[in-house]
This record gives sequence, structure tokens and C-alpha cells, in this order.
Amino acid sequence: MASPSPLPKRNSDFLGLKKELPPRRNWLLGAASFLLPLVLWSIVSYVPWLWHPLVHVTDAGEVEMFSEGMDLPRADFDRANTQAVTEGLTPGKGVRVNPVYLPAPHEVARAFYTAFTTPPRLPGEPWLHQSLWHSIKVIASGFLLSSLVGVPLGILCGSFRFFSRLHEPFIEFFRYLPAPAFGALCVAMLGIHDAPKVAIIFIGTFFQQVLVIANTVRKVDPGLIEAAQTLGASRRKLVTRVIIPSSIPEIFTDMRILLGWAWTYLIVAEIIGATSGLTWFINQQARYRNFDNVYAAICLIGFIGLGTDILLAKLGTLIFPWRRRNRGPSFLGSLISRLIKPLKKSISNAGSATAPATVTTPTPTPAAADTPPSA
Amino acid sequence: MNASPLASSTDYRTQDPAVADRFKRLYQRPVILTVDNLRKDFGSNGTTRTVFDNLSFNIHRREFITVIGPSGCGKSTFIRIAAGLDDASGGQILLDGQPVSGPGPDRGMVFQGYTLFPWLTVKRNVMFGLEMRGKDKSTAENEAGLWLDMVGLSKFENSYPHELSGGMKQRVAIARALANEPRVLIMDEPFGALDAQTRAQMQSYLLQIWRKVDVTILFITHDLDEACYLSDRILVLGTNPGRVVEFIENPVPRPRSPAQCTSPEFQALKHRLEELIHPPVEIEEQQLPMVRLTEAGDDVE
Ligand SMILES: Nc1ncnc2c1ncn2[C@@H]1O[C@H](COP(=O)(O)OP(=O)(O)O)[C@@H](O)[C@H]1O
Ligand SMILES: [Mg+2]
Repeated sequence: MASPSPLPKRNSDFLGLKKELPPRRNWLLGAASFLLPLVLWSIVSYVPWLWHPLVHVTDAGEVEMFSEGMDLPRADFDRANTQAVTEGLTPGKGVRVNPVYLPAPHEVARAFYTAFTTPPRLPGEPWLHQSLWHSIKVIASGFLLSSLVGVPLGILCGSFRFFSRLHEPFIEFFRYLPAPAFGALCVAMLGIHDAPKVAIIFIGTFFQQVLVIANTVRKVDPGLIEAAQTLGASRRKLVTRVIIPSSIPEIFTDMRILLGWAWTYLIVAEIIGATSGLTWFINQQARYRNFDNVYAAICLIGFIGLGTDILLAKLGTLIFPWRRRNRGPSFLGSLISRLIKPLKKSISNAGSATAPATVTTPTPTPAAADTPPSA
Repeated sequence: MNASPLASSTDYRTQDPAVADRFKRLYQRPVILTVDNLRKDFGSNGTTRTVFDNLSFNIHRREFITVIGPSGCGKSTFIRIAAGLDDASGGQILLDGQPVSGPGPDRGMVFQGYTLFPWLTVKRNVMFGLEMRGKDKSTAENEAGLWLDMVGLSKFENSYPHELSGGMKQRVAIARALANEPRVLIMDEPFGALDAQTRAQMQSYLLQIWRKVDVTILFITHDLDEACYLSDRILVLGTNPGRVVEFIENPVPRPRSPAQCTSPEFQALKHRLEELIHPPVEIEEQQLPMVRLTEAGDDVE
């Protein structure tokens, strides 16, 4: 049975040239994509002779310019020590360290927890979770407001040449105006609190949104429109019953990408007027030189962005069942299914009346959470 | 490609008395579609190209017309004008005496590419036209069910199109078009993308459906056997510019069965079509330059 499989054959599709990889390898590679930078970062942090350009003084000895706990360049440290030795003084001791702006992975990992539990320095200042919530509120309001107008307008422009010509040239012009350039104007018009921030996210999102969605809608298969016409669909029905349902999955994907862009506008928006939200937290921590917290907050944005995107992608496969082809699952997709599988199970166990659209096999064994995702 | 001696001994115009009688009765039926001096040009001012000109003929109620012609002669263009998806450059098409303009539910269309709505289940696809015409949901559902029964797909009513095979998709498309009870069913190479076996099956399905439904069929194909097997009359179009070369009465008696493919009438008809589509003088095979890239000793022909 266990005869060695012919190597050349296995090698031929190992890299997956124009070919789906097996799910397990997909998964492992996805994990590796995160591990690779982490390993690099760890090497730079933990291997002392690699970089570590500074010396952290642990014992000042009799060297005048040293004081315990200070960091200084290695060359300066060595020079001062040789000087001290020639003068017959006790040299100082120290360990090689990286600059404070490059904390080690474990420090950042710890900061993920401590940043949430450390109270703000001043009584009136927000906790991290309050800053985070503030950021989410701003981005959600800006994105929602933009979508409320942008999506219908995009669909209209994509469906009818008339609206496309009427609106798109100006929008095309306006989208080249950088949203941050409107910061001062927005503050003058809307005050210094959240309104100008929401406005910046709106400006940053809206114009792209209309164009992107109009383009998506224009890609609707003309054959479907013609088929509907020969079935007697009126012009309005063509939009509501063919163009919109046919393009809605792609619009959904567009929205995921646009939401990613909105996050990049968030940081700009938050320094307009009174600095707020995560940006305030990051700036504040950088000022106290708590760079581990700074990294933690930056990573937090990444995790939230990625997390929402994966959730939305999952949601997409739930609400667009006709899109469910047997494609290999993405790494993060399968990760999420692994994470939500026990959740789903507990939901369906709790009350099967509100079961989701997907068929969850009601197995009585609760220990099935660690089974590999079904292909 | 050469016709058998048997085929050349029978003339495609000689008809069995029953067949001749059938055509006589067929021509007494009312004319449903009149094509009157139809012309289509493509291109803007300066470089217009006429695809076809002077297209004129009549089609009677419940006829099964197949349209053949060399590639590019304007079959699809003609059928799109008939469906109202394109405008004619000259002349007109009358349906029941009324000029057609724009697409409408009185002319159902089945495309080669299925064009089922991927976001709707099979049943909802068939219901689409019914709902467009303002039928309420339960009526539409009942009627769609009946049409799915007729094409033998009731079991798949809740499937999505991507879960069906090509032949099944096309049956859904036919049910969807017929559910609107169109006067004319227009089909543009509907079975062109199917494998030979499925295609034969679909042909027999189509004949069965046509027998049961009051509908006139205008069917484009490039498959001569298909044209002979299905049609009452065959409209042969020529190219440069597109025109009616011949409108042939099919001498093969009905009801049809695949066994008739070897009958002398069938062979004679097919032979005639071959003559019209590929005139013998042009059959001269284009010679490729003779460059040998392989060593001698492995001659394959
Ligand atoms: N939209 C168009 N614009 C310009 N030329 C076209 C267009 N559609 C078709 N044609 C031309 O008209 C001719 C007939 O096309 P078509 O009706 O598709 O042929 P067939 O279906 O008989 O193969 C072709 O030469 C094609 O190039
Ligand atoms: Mg064609």
C-alpha cells in the first residue's frame, strides 16, 4: 500500500499553476502567508546579533554619561566604556536591544490585552474600546450614507446611458480631488466633531462607488436582458428583475472592496477637527512611547477590516445561493467556517426553528467541531 | 460527401401524395408571419454593409420552418429583427398582419446560450414571463408547473440553472418561452452547443412539444440533418448579399422518426441542401504550404 508515489507527478502540480490546490494545502499556505512576516519579525526581534543597534544600559558602572535604563547607540557605548577602562573606572554593562519603535512580537501580543485593560491617563479620556467604537461609528455612518445614494445612482448610471452621460463625467472629475483636501472646508461647515469626519469618508467613498458600481452593472450579460425583453419585461422590470438581481453579487463584492478603502480614509478623517477614535489612541500612545500599543492598535484595524470582509464574503455565499459553485475554499473562508461551525451547531441545537439556509446536519455528538471542513 | 446513387435517383421535389396533400392544407392555414422586402445594413454612414436584402416570404400558422445558410449570411440578424431585438433597415415583418416593432411576448426566443436567469430556480425562470404579463403568483406557479411537466423537468423545479446539464437548461429555456404562449417560437441554433446524443434527444422532444402546442417555429440551424428532420419547409439563405436561395418543401412524411434519415426523400433533400450551401466549385480544399516538420516514416495519411 505505502509504496512511494512517483515524485515527478506530485511535483508537477505542487505550485498549482492554473489549478486549484487541494484544500489542505490551501489552508496551510494561507497560514504560512501570516507566519512568514511573523517569523521575519521574530528573527529581527529575538536574534541579538542580527540588528539590535542600541545598547540598553543595565549597570552604569562608573561611567558618567551612562544612567541605568538608557538606550544609546552601540558605537557610543563602546567608546565610552573603552574611555572609562583607560581611565581606570569600572565600565558600564548593557544588553543589545532594538529601538523602542520596534517592539518584539510578544510585547505587541501582550499589548493587545493590556491596551484594553489599561485605564486612560486622564479621567476624561476614552478607553481603547471606546475609541474603537467611535471609529467604527464614524466609518459606518460615512459608508452607509455614501451607499444610500451611491448604490442607486450607480445602478441607474450603469443601466441607462442617459444617466451615465448626465452624471459620470463630473463624478470622474470629482474623484480625482483628494478627500483630505476637503478637511478644512468640512470643519468650517460642519464643526469639529463627528460630522466633518463622516463627510470625509463620504467624499472618499461616494464618487468611486458610483463609478465602480455603474461599471459592474454595465457588465450584465446582454443575453439575459434580451431574453427578458422577449419574455415581455418592461423597461422598469428590466432594471428591477434582471439588471439588479444579476449584478447584485458583484455589487456586494464591490462594496467589500470599497469598505476597505473607507478604512484608509478613516485615519485621515479622524485627525480632522478634534482628533478622535483609534487615531487619537495611536497618537496618544506614540507620544508616551508605548509603541507596543501603537502596533496593537494598527493590527486591530487590520483584523477588524479582514474580519468584516470574511464575514461579508460568507454572508455573500449565504444570500446568493446560485453563486455557490464547488470552488476550493479560501484559507480565511475555511478558517471562519471552522470557527463558526461550533457556533452554528449550538445555534441549531438551541432552536432549530431559526435554522440558517445552509443545511446543518444535526449530529448529536458535540465534539465534531474539530473535523476538517467538508470539501 | 458524395450523394449515394439512391439519393440522386430521387428528386427532392417529388412528394408522396400524403405529403403533397399536407402542404395543400398547410397553405390554407392563415399566414402568421410575413417578411416583406426586409433589408439590413450594418455600419455607419460611408461604410455600410448590406447583410441581406429583398427578403420576402410567408409563414403559415403552426408551420415548422428551419433556416439554413452559410455562416455569416445573416440568419441570426434576421431572427433578431423578427424577435424585435434589432431594427430592420428596410422593409418590414408582419405578425398576424401587424408590423412588429420591439420585442414582445408574442414572439418567444430560445438562444444558443440558454440565457436562463442564474439567480432564479428553474420554476421561477419559467414563471418569469408569466409574471411580466401580470399574472398573479399562484397562477404563474401552476402554469409553470404544467410547462415543466411537458418538458419533463418537474423534478428539477427547485434547482438552479447551474445544477442542470446543457440539454436540461435548453428544455427549461423552451418551457420558459412557451409559457408565454407566443405566436411564434424563434430558436437560434438552440442545440448547437449540445453533444450529438443530447441533440438527437432534444430534437425529438421539440417535435413532441410542437405537436401538442399551437405554435409556429422558426428554427435556425447549421446542421443539415437537423433541418431535414424537423422542418415542414426549409428556408435556404445565400450570402453576399444575403437572400432567399430557395424555400424548400420538405418531402419527408410526418410523423418523423430518426429511422427516416436513410429514406430516399431524406437523402435527396439533404443532397440538395448540400449543393446549395456548398456549391461544388468552391469545395476545392485550400492547400496549405507543404512544409515537413517530421522525419519520414511516420506518414499518417
Ligand atoms: N452588430 C453588428 N455590427 C456589424 N456587423 C454585424 C453585426 N452583427 C452581425 N454583423 C455582421 O452581419 C453578418 C451576419 O451575421 P449573423 O446574422 O450573425 O450571421 P449568421 O447567424 O448567419 O452566421 C456577419 O457578417 C456579421 O459580421
Ligand atoms: Mg448565427
